[in-house]
Amino acid sequence: MMKTFAPLLHSYWYLFRGAGMTLLMAAASVVPATLLGGALALVHVFGRRTARSALQVYLFVVRGIPLLVLLTFVYYLLPLTGIDLPPFWGVVVVMSLYYAAFMSEVFRAGIESLPQAQWDAARSLGMQRHLLLRIIIFPQALRLAAPPFVSLCANLVKATSLVSIVGLWELTMASREVVERTLAPFQIFLGAALIYFCICYTMALYGRFLERRSLVGH
Amino acid sequence: MPFDLHFIVRLIPALLQGAEITVALAVLTVVICLVWGLLVALAQSRGGVLSWIAGGYIQAVRNTPLLIQLYIIYFGFAMAGFPLSGFLSGLLALCIQNGGYVAEIYRGGLQSVSQRQYEAGRALGMRRWTLYTVVIMPQVVARVIPPMTNQAISIIKDTSQVAAIAVMEMMKVAEVWVESSANTYDVFLGVALIYLVLTSVAGLIGKVAERQLAFAQ
Repeated sequence: MMKTFAPLLHSYWYLFRGAGMTLLMAAASVVPATLLGGALALVHVFGRRTARSALQVYLFVVRGIPLLVLLTFVYYLLPLTGIDLPPFWGVVVVMSLYYAAFMSEVFRAGIESLPQAQWDAARSLGMQRHLLLRIIIFPQALRLAAPPFVSLCANLVKATSLVSIVGLWELTMASREVVERTLAPFQIFLGAALIYFCICYTMALYGRFLERRSLVGH
Repeated sequence: MPFDLHFIVRLIPALLQGAEITVALAVLTVVICLVWGLLVALAQSRGGVLSWIAGGYIQAVRNTPLLIQLYIIYFGFAMAGFPLSGFLSGLLALCIQNGGYVAEIYRGGLQSVSQRQYEAGRALGMRRWTLYTVVIMPQVVARVIPPMTNQAISIIKDTSQVAAIAVMEMMKVAEVWVESSANTYDVFLGVALIYLVLTSVAGLIGKVAERQLAFAQ
């Protein structure tokens, strides 16, 4: 047993460094994706009709095309356009734009699932719109949106594995390199899977905790 | 040169050939997962050791990337001495991963059926099999169609990852054509359009099924 997993025991530090890069890439993408997703959700709920239809087109396109296609496209596109963007940031831009679409859906669902009575009650108290949104709608909507938001973040962490296909270095790429050296694909990829599991399962547990907490108020 | 008509005429049949593999992978995965996911969900609802195993399986596959599962199956089986073809490895990985998601969808559907439905069925003297096939499952199936449709769309998109183990599905075909022609725009526009058509068709099928089964709600 020990001997079978010796290649993994020799290279776990390299995989951990890869995992660090995975987390860095995910964190760098989550922040702009969240901000953009929030803005898009506001457009969806409060925007004019033209802006809303434009958003629908964006959502349709992003939801219908695999992330890998977009990542590969940017990988081939960047050298052609002469934009001097390091591949890391190219990936971050694509991931942010892609996940912003899903984030916007999560936030929109949070806002729209609040009962109309909340709006009516706040208005009948004479609240101005920005006050109403700030102290009545957004706090509740964010609380409702928190669990799906966390599971979307876990999804994003898993999706960073795709950047290894376009040649970026992170956990999946690191494990492929180790496999090439040690010829022990089963053990090494199992180790990488275990690291991904620890990251994503922790997030899933946190999401479940948030879900239970958000049910308390109802 | 982008939008080179001669190039596009040669490109389209090649992409469609890749799309055939994409569709084959996606359809097989959906069909297998509909059965496999139900078995897992039922195993999980029964309690005992089996439920514990089913729960562990669901968490394990949902919290690891498809790409890693693909590598474990493709390279792991080869190392163990019985190599699988790329297509078969891809299909297996897609089914294993999405089986976990589909099982969760079924679980949600099973839980949404009121406990009284079970009690009423038993009070009428129904056997377990009759209770499930006549009373419970029709309601579950009707309710899970919208999330299943989303899962099918996500499966179509996931098939692109099988390109990583050199299966000539649409994504891999596109890569080969970009590498050999440097006509990046045409190839990716074509691929994106075909994926959009495939996912839209899946969405439409889901909508039709939803309407057809609305009576069972």
